[in-house]
Amino acid sequence: MKWSTAWLNGGVVLCVLASWEWWVRSLDVPVYLLPGPLAIATAFGMHSRGLIVGALVTTGEALSGLVLGSLFGLLLAMFLNFWERLEPAVMGVALFAKSTPLIAIAPILTIWLGFGPAPKIVITALITFFPVLVNSLTGLRAADPAVHAVMQSWHASRWEVFVHLRWRAQYPYLLAALKSVAPLSLVGAVVAEWLGASSGLGQLMWLAYNNLNLPLLFAAAVVLSLIGSLLYQVVVVFERRLYI
Amino acid sequence: MFRAWVQNMMRPLGALWLAVSVVLLAGCQVLAPAPQLQLTFMAGYKPQANLPFVGVYVAQERGLFQKEGLSVDIQHSGGGADNLQLLVAGKVQVTTVDAAVLLQRRADPGLPLVSIALIGQTGQQAYVAMQASGMRTPADWAGAKVGYKGAPPPDLYAILDAAGVDPLQLELVSVGFDPHVLTTGMVDVYPVFKSNEPDILAREGHVLTAWQAADFGVPSLGLTYATTADQIANKPVELAAFTRATLAGIEYASTHVDEAVDVVMKYAPEADRAHMRYMLETELAAGRPAGGAGFGAQTAAQWAALQAMLLKYKALANAVQVDQVFTTQFLAGK
Repeated sequence: MKWSTAWLNGGVVLCVLASWEWWVRSLDVPVYLLPGPLAIATAFGMHSRGLIVGALVTTGEALSGLVLGSLFGLLLAMFLNFWERLEPAVMGVALFAKSTPLIAIAPILTIWLGFGPAPKIVITALITFFPVLVNSLTGLRAADPAVHAVMQSWHASRWEVFVHLRWRAQYPYLLAALKSVAPLSLVGAVVAEWLGASSGLGQLMWLAYNNLNLPLLFAAAVVLSLIGSLLYQVVVVFERRLYI
Repeated sequence: MFRAWVQNMMRPLGALWLAVSVVLLAGCQVLAPAPQLQLTFMAGYKPQANLPFVGVYVAQERGLFQKEGLSVDIQHSGGGADNLQLLVAGKVQVTTVDAAVLLQRRADPGLPLVSIALIGQTGQQAYVAMQASGMRTPADWAGAKVGYKGAPPPDLYAILDAAGVDPLQLELVSVGFDPHVLTTGMVDVYPVFKSNEPDILAREGHVLTAWQAADFGVPSLGLTYATTADQIANKPVELAAFTRATLAGIEYASTHVDEAVDVVMKYAPEADRAHMRYMLETELAAGRPAGGAGFGAQTAAQWAALQAMLLKYKALANAVQVDQVFTTQFLAGK
């Protein structure tokens, strides 16, 4: 990004923040209805330790769930690539898992897996596996038909077609899914923590909301959005390295 | 042909239906004049037989609001603090809030909340253990896993203090809202709403031992009808009418429990009727003030004692002026 572009974008963000602060002050909007940026910045300072600890906990759970869910989705897509006839059954179960409201299964997972990070990781994995499954499967089937025909003419086995053609063909689809689910994994972890946890940004946000401490709630949301952006950028960098 | 015949027949029938509807509606208008006063009430949780909710449901269904010339729009919160946000934003005129939470939010972030009637004369929460655990008093909690929801509440520390137990002797665990973490042995002591989880677990055949703050002389109060100082200044007539009607509704529910449960089931058709009855009976027992006062009564001494307890266990950011957190101006006899 050019410096002039960076200054321009920074200026726009500053203008938005300044307008927001001016608006809440001029209209005397109570902090428990909408805090201004300065109140949120103050909350950052006052609760920095809690926010950092919470961010570490939540990011750990989100990344664990992301890796678990993505691997599961990828493996399932590979499985369906070889056993297409099982697709209706597998996708039916996957859709059921995807469509079940997390709020309904979170308490059950706590009873099965305890109060620790395990239920949060499983919930995050449940959120992330489906987009990876669908995109990977689409990618595996998006291989160039001409190349496929050539490989078939060489009597390539299904495994060879998979390794040399389909696996590479699904990269863009897999990376698109990862760009989508990386920030989403944080949502999974936060929702799970919101429903009962001893630590993490979700628990901090739940307490802040119940105590109507909106500056802290917004500060935690900003931290979450920064971590989400970071995770997204990690996938983007990985994507660039893969294709350069 | 047949279609044309049907259409020809329907036209005069439609006109007749319209005319009858207009006449009937006009008749209703004459029989029951439209209420002049309007107010929005938001229950602090989903529809169920919490006593303050029942007061509103019964007042609505028995026409007590209408007799006061009041039209009440009944809303329900999904939990959390959205009802308080809507109250202070002026979108809602009355909501239900726990007395301790009212004090806490009054102290920080300074919400101008005022209780207009105290419906729960003792706290809503209790702690339960499986009877088979052998725990008889909180002194037996030493070394046990004790659950809390969100953050450890002050009445937990007050109970421990009264029983002479050092909180460091327990393992405090943040639990969710499913009481089965108790029955599956994940915690030894679980926090419950007295009118809710004990019944759920009892129906599953679990025998529990329960402790509540009031048993140990710890001051605790339950749900209130809350409004704001602005609403009291701007809508005193509406609030007076609301309080009269809802307290009459609670009084009626106390002597017509089955009928009151029927009313609750209209608002919560998916609920278990027997559980709603348990909830109502439990809250009625906790709602009758001492000394023969009517439902909703509240005194400065009650609020001051609760504030002192919250301050002692560092559950209140700062002391607030007790005379500003409640008013008796809308209660009968004032």
